[in-house]
Amino acid sequence: MLVRRSARLPGGAPLQREETSLFTYILRRLLVGLLSLVGASMVAFMLTRIVPSDPAAMWMGPHATPEQIERTQVELGLDQPIPVQYWRYISGLLRGDWGTSIVTKHAVLRDLATYLPASIELIIFGLLIGFSVGVPLGVLSAAKSDSALDHVARLVSITGVAVPSFWLAMLLQLTLSKGAGLFPLTGRVDLLMEITNPIHRITGFALLDSLFTGNFAALGNALWHIVLPAVTLAMYPLGLATRMVRTTMLEVLSEDYIRTARASGIRESRVLGKYALRNAIGPVLTIMALTFGYSLVSTFLIESLFAWPGLGRYAAKAIVSVDYPAIMGVTMLVAVTYIVLNLLVDLALAALDPRVRLS
Amino acid sequence: MKRASRLFLVQVLLVVLLGLLGVVGIGAESLQVAVHLQAAEVVPYWDPSDGASGEIALMNNLYETLLRYDPNTNEFVPLLATSYEQSEDAKTWTFSIRRGVKFHTGNLLDAQAVKASIERTLERDRGSAYIWYPVESIEVVDDYTVRFHLSQPAPLDLIAAAGYCAYIFDPAFSDHDWFIAGNDSGTGPYTVESSEGSEKVITKKFDDYWMGWEGNHFDRVAFQTIPEASTRRLMLEAGKADFCESLPPTDIEALMTHPNVSIEVNPSFQNLVVLYNNQRAPLDNALVRQALSYLIPYDDVVDVALGGYGRASRGVVPYGLWGYSDRVEQFSYSPTVAQALLAQAGYPNGGFKFLLTYPAGYEDIRKTVELWKASCAELDIELDARAMPTAERNAIARSPDPEKRQDIYLLYWWPDYANPDSFLSGMFYTQERPAYNLGYYSNPDFDALVDVATTLPSASSGAIAMMVELQNILQRDAAGIAVWDMEYLRARSASLRGYNDNAAYPNVVFWYDCYRE
Repeated sequence: MLVRRSARLPGGAPLQREETSLFTYILRRLLVGLLSLVGASMVAFMLTRIVPSDPAAMWMGPHATPEQIERTQVELGLDQPIPVQYWRYISGLLRGDWGTSIVTKHAVLRDLATYLPASIELIIFGLLIGFSVGVPLGVLSAAKSDSALDHVARLVSITGVAVPSFWLAMLLQLTLSKGAGLFPLTGRVDLLMEITNPIHRITGFALLDSLFTGNFAALGNALWHIVLPAVTLAMYPLGLATRMVRTTMLEVLSEDYIRTARASGIRESRVLGKYALRNAIGPVLTIMALTFGYSLVSTFLIESLFAWPGLGRYAAKAIVSVDYPAIMGVTMLVAVTYIVLNLLVDLALAALDPRVRLS
Repeated sequence: MKRASRLFLVQVLLVVLLGLLGVVGIGAESLQVAVHLQAAEVVPYWDPSDGASGEIALMNNLYETLLRYDPNTNEFVPLLATSYEQSEDAKTWTFSIRRGVKFHTGNLLDAQAVKASIERTLERDRGSAYIWYPVESIEVVDDYTVRFHLSQPAPLDLIAAAGYCAYIFDPAFSDHDWFIAGNDSGTGPYTVESSEGSEKVITKKFDDYWMGWEGNHFDRVAFQTIPEASTRRLMLEAGKADFCESLPPTDIEALMTHPNVSIEVNPSFQNLVVLYNNQRAPLDNALVRQALSYLIPYDDVVDVALGGYGRASRGVVPYGLWGYSDRVEQFSYSPTVAQALLAQAGYPNGGFKFLLTYPAGYEDIRKTVELWKASCAELDIELDARAMPTAERNAIARSPDPEKRQDIYLLYWWPDYANPDSFLSGMFYTQERPAYNLGYYSNPDFDALVDVATTLPSASSGAIAMMVELQNILQRDAAGIAVWDMEYLRARSASLRGYNDNAAYPNVVFWYDCYRE
């Protein structure tokens, strides 16, 4: 938990809350995170079991005989009571066995390792676009409050938050891809490029792997492909960052120390960048972390539309097919991501903002 | 600020430069690459013994079967078998195996490999492996002759030509984990070059393919899953795809006039079947079943539910498959006849309520049910229609307690291989424990005739006559009826040549035969 150091009791006495050591704080947060993971796994496990489906029948194909289905139920452990199935799943999870996907027939862990890098790459690119445009736009909007620029920035931020990603994706595909032919329609790299200049997998990140191996043709092609899905993904964080930065900046800009800084003749760009933004960035950092988690989920639609071979498309397919091992795997991964990111953001905030302490 | 602007400008220039590199790099080599789009997984099953689903399009280009069946000519094309013969009782089948055929692994095909492939498929017993159940033993007569001994008569030529689970592979490379890692050991014209999960597979031509590479062929074929119909359509329009197996009728209509796209409309072996619960009153009365069958507005259903891309069924064997015949009797929409039949059955005022289950997620079936429901309501018959997931439906339909079962069960049916017997035996042969006979029909005379029909040579005049007779029994009993036969709507690149739609291998493009003009 984060507490601002400035918290005081009436009369000026400091709030009686001990500052915790970094190690204890992290340990406590990890323990809470572990409990959250157990909770998330139980809820997800129960939900996937409540939904009417027959994984054994799916596994065996559309004309499977009842005997084949029964045999598969035993093989997959589906004949066991739910608590036993859950215990088996959790113990398997700890051993590194995350189950086998009903759809792909591959180990879920292998699937996650295959698909995750493409999503991470897309999300990082999208967030980079979103925040590198959104934060400056928010600053400018606050600095020039009620000007034409401010109105445009507010319109952009509202649009960014409100526009459904699937609609924007199709709009971009129709206009910039099909219409103007500026960007490719789908995929991570062109099929022909995959054949003539295959990217040798090192990290799974196409941009990094092509860079590391000096495959610049593929690197350019991959950059060309990531633009439209990344822009689609960027719209929400862009809108959010703009709004958030504008609001916090307006608050900070009315503070006395800003007035003092301006009165001292410090350049406006320095006032905004060094004094105001630094004090306004805390909430933005928090939403950056949350937006990362949110983006993992919004890739479900975006990746499906752009045929982006990432975790989002894998998850969307798993949900439609009630592929419970894959759903569990994605749920656990997203839960871990949220927990770790929140912890990292809290630590980063404590390091950046001297008013914040760990407790 | 100036420094930041310069940095930004450099970054933009770098991106543009790299983008140009990317675009320029594509044209570096002039390869003929075909792109095949699928809505679902390209390879739900990598193991050639396990298939039963969407992998059929890829696998039939990686692997080959002993024979290939062409329903248009009703002939078998020899592939890995050069010839075959059957005994009179259809219980012994001998195949001569082609010499000089290489697996992608470099090993040579022989009779032992054929035996090992089929035995492994039977042993794993996954997917459609049950098509081989009649096989009792497989005998290697010599290096290039293999003989199948059957426990009961069966059309082994059709089974050996099946689109699923009939592939011959190198037994020396048949480890399940090796297969699912994205490897293949077939004899087909293409072999796996790379794969990305189960959604994208790039294949390259196999240089030692036994038919050779004279003439015009594709060097590579990429199979790709594109779940969104709108994206598939855009890719076709932009010339980024050569073949798309499924698009909604509205997209098909829109693409009809597109210069880059050709639309193929072909008969399928797939139909919509209604199974009445033959064991529960009042549906245990054939007159009531007939009355309900006369209440389906067949032509309207084809127009509304299928957008005109299909035809009203005539018997349970779909149009295009041998066994389909104009001589099969068929119901037509006639509320008057239905009312008369109900009166004859002792229910002049209707007053029934039937639980009807149909698979969720199929708009065409939903529309069919709605039209039928409206028609039944006029005779005071209520169809309590419920769209359900297959698992839930089947749990009801296969319940050991007959009282818990549905009254009417709708399903899509298609054969595992080009055999009308799949429609007859699969859904109407007596089953003590119902698998897909979910109307629980039991007629010893019908069963006996089916047993005789399976001994007759496939698609022979005798076999066809028998199929007609069997279907007429079902029609007279109204045991269950087919409503419409679906047509496959394929969208392909207008410049693609050599494509020949074969309903026996749904969604398969035999890419070796194709080229780009």
